[in-house]
Amino acid sequence: MTEIAVDFTGVTRTFGAVRAVDGLDLTIAAGQTVALLGPNGAGKSTTVSLLLGLLTPDAGRIAVLGRPPGQTVAAGQVGAMLQNGGLMPGVPVAGLIELTRRLYPNPRPLADLLADADLTGLARRRVDKLSGGQSQRLRFALAVAGDPDLLVLDEPTAAMDVASRRTFWANIRGYAEQGRTVLFATHYLEEADENADRVVVIAGGRVLTEGTPAEIKRAAGGSTVRFSAGGAGRAGLERLPGVTAVETRGPAVTLRTRDAEATVRALFAARDRVPDLEVSGVDLEDAFLALTR
Amino acid sequence: MFYLLRLEIRRMLADKRFLILMLCLPIGMYLLFTNLFGNQPQSGPPAALELMISMAAMGSIGAAMMTTGPRIAQERGNGWLRQLKIMPIRPGTVIGAKLLSAMLSAIPAIALVDLTAVLDHGVRLSAGQWLGIGALLLLGTAPFAALGAVIGYLTDDASAFAVMYGLLIFLSAIGGLWMPVSALPSALRDIARVLPSNRLADLGWRIVEGQAPLAADGLVLAAWLAGFTGLAVLGYRRANVAR
Repeated sequence: MTEIAVDFTGVTRTFGAVRAVDGLDLTIAAGQTVALLGPNGAGKSTTVSLLLGLLTPDAGRIAVLGRPPGQTVAAGQVGAMLQNGGLMPGVPVAGLIELTRRLYPNPRPLADLLADADLTGLARRRVDKLSGGQSQRLRFALAVAGDPDLLVLDEPTAAMDVASRRTFWANIRGYAEQGRTVLFATHYLEEADENADRVVVIAGGRVLTEGTPAEIKRAAGGSTVRFSAGGAGRAGLERLPGVTAVETRGPAVTLRTRDAEATVRALFAARDRVPDLEVSGVDLEDAFLALTR
Repeated sequence: MFYLLRLEIRRMLADKRFLILMLCLPIGMYLLFTNLFGNQPQSGPPAALELMISMAAMGSIGAAMMTTGPRIAQERGNGWLRQLKIMPIRPGTVIGAKLLSAMLSAIPAIALVDLTAVLDHGVRLSAGQWLGIGALLLLGTAPFAALGAVIGYLTDDASAFAVMYGLLIFLSAIGGLWMPVSALPSALRDIARVLPSNRLADLGWRIVEGQAPLAADGLVLAAWLAGFTGLAVLGYRRANVAR
């Protein structure tokens, strides 16, 4: 296996007037699990399509496992779950997995694939009779059927319920532990946080920032502290420990802080009452506002 | 390739719409037509024989178009063709399996219409004639499989079946499969002779009359095959640009 699994250099792809991917530089070392995090329209799916050779870049260079994407895919070194990828209708689950196995040089055993995707009991079920979550599990089985060196997942948990999600990520982590490279696109900060070694935040088709999940959250301003305060009570809030930003809307005050505990402690030290107090972690939207500011 | 072909055939057998329309329709029409017109005196081969070829041709045309057209439209819509592109399989293999399964799907239509003719009307032909009919009707479905692919790439899941069915009716009626070409208005007679459906049936009609197959029939079918293949390739490219 090569040292570098994925290498994008100055990659641009436009659709009409829209620059979906705009001078993207991205390097992923082999063996890493990387989250491509971004809001809808950030260019995640276009990046994934470029990576898989479904789209060709207008400018720039892409190497996947040391070769152009089309060649790597043709060699059976890549497995993928596409956001809008479909399944062959009218055939049984086991048949479709078997077809996929036969396309790859070193497939995993059928029984293992069925078991890992929790599809053993549904092996003879027709593909078009599966529920959304079951279909998604089948897509996962197809993606790993060839035991690929690089696994690419585009918004993989979109149709899954909470329990399926948990099993799914346990499977992905197990797969990554065998030394495989995993790249997944998501707009859930939580998924990136829990499952990735490294998070690449993209927006507007560019890499905004990258780092470990902890670094990203720190960069995004950690948490928010909300409470109610009148005009006089708002003085000096920006100087409280940890606070990176102050927003007011009506009586509500929102503090963005790197250290929620220190901020709240200082708030109580300075005043008798802190009505309507609420402390929460940043959600992705906040993170983006913070990061793009 | 063979596993994909196997799955395609399995899928065909699970498709009730396919089985009912493409097997029952030609047999039903054969029984209806032969019992309506079978006793009328006419020149040339008996109606039971001529209609056997007509209905087998119609069944195989329908089966071939049905296996490609609506399915390609469906697979484009649901993303299966996209999924195949990120797997280590060549587009040529995917299309090859599709066309081959389309042509193979004509076998039951041809065999069952022939069997009905034997059982209901005591049609008797030499083994060579049976083989010749089977082989030529099977090979002759190639342009219709390609036409189905054109439909699959130019329409969507909702309209593919209707378009395919409309074309089947047109090709059958104007191609002289429902009534002899000589019974058509003169303006339509010239059109009938250039249609691939007419040429496909003509291959079989000549065999049951004890003649050698006409090279011109094969050439006209080959020309349609080339034309439809070209259009299918254009449609494939257009569909890929749009995605």
